[in-house]
Amino acid sequence: MDFDPHASTIESSSADGIVHEVQNLGINEESSTNITCFSDVFNDIPIHFQIICFPKQIYAWIGCQTARFGSLYAAASTRPNNIVSVTSLLGGTSDNTGSGIARRIVLKTGVPVTLACNIPKDSPMLEAHVEKKLIQKLIFLGYTKSKPQAVTS
Amino acid sequence: MDHGASTSSFPVRHKNLSVHIKESKIDIVICSYDDQFLVIATQIGTMGTIMHARKEEGMLNTPTFNVSVIFGKRDEPMLLACARQLIEHISNSGSSKPLTLSLGLKDHSVEALKSIVSAVIENRLW
Repeated sequence: MDFDPHASTIESSSADGIVHEVQNLGINEESSTNITCFSDVFNDIPIHFQIICFPKQIYAWIGCQTARFGSLYAAASTRPNNIVSVTSLLGGTSDNTGSGIARRIVLKTGVPVTLACNIPKDSPMLEAHVEKKLIQKLIFLGYTKSKPQAVTS
Repeated sequence: MDHGASTSSFPVRHKNLSVHIKESKIDIVICSYDDQFLVIATQIGTMGTIMHARKEEGMLNTPTFNVSVIFGKRDEPMLLACARQLIEHISNSGSSKPLTLSLGLKDHSVEALKSIVSAVIENRLW
């Protein structure tokens, strides 16, 4: 997994107004944490994202319309075979929207994730959009899972 | 102590700071959501043990609090004491919002935890 904790350039806002970004990196020279906040709109619904990057973990919050904390999930690679496990810590169940997003972020980044979100249930299009935006931002921040080296005989 | 704070246009306020205790750096993040506070203090690069603390509604004049570990070490009472101090401070400040506190520490000494509580209270968002 390749990660550059200092990848913190500020993007320019999208000209067509669909994405409104308020990026607050919250970086100081000594802190190991990088905080990124941005907002988006999907079908007139405001969506807010907050990502806190720790050296060995990601915390993310997704707010749909409100700034309520929502349900909290933890996901990480676990034994056996490093499969990704997810659990609900506060509110929610392991079947809820946020648990799937948390699990797929770990699959994409290889880093343990703690995710809080208040996305409503039974909104698959919203869920897919939110997950795509979050993962795009994580890739922009430098999170990519290293591809396995090709085996040559 | 080094600080960073959120801009006013994002609906969640946050503060990001570092404190130095015994030549070790602890990164602290404090966030205020509509219905909850989140405090993260870490030395180890991960969030560590996550606790939830809330005030319990009761008939008594003096409030009672429920503090529990929801992820991580369940055999470190000092971590729970830290959460207990903070939720009481939140309550005394007039807020009834619960607190999610995450502590990823190498040093579980009283001195370190007191320093964390002081730093959080000094930079509180309640």
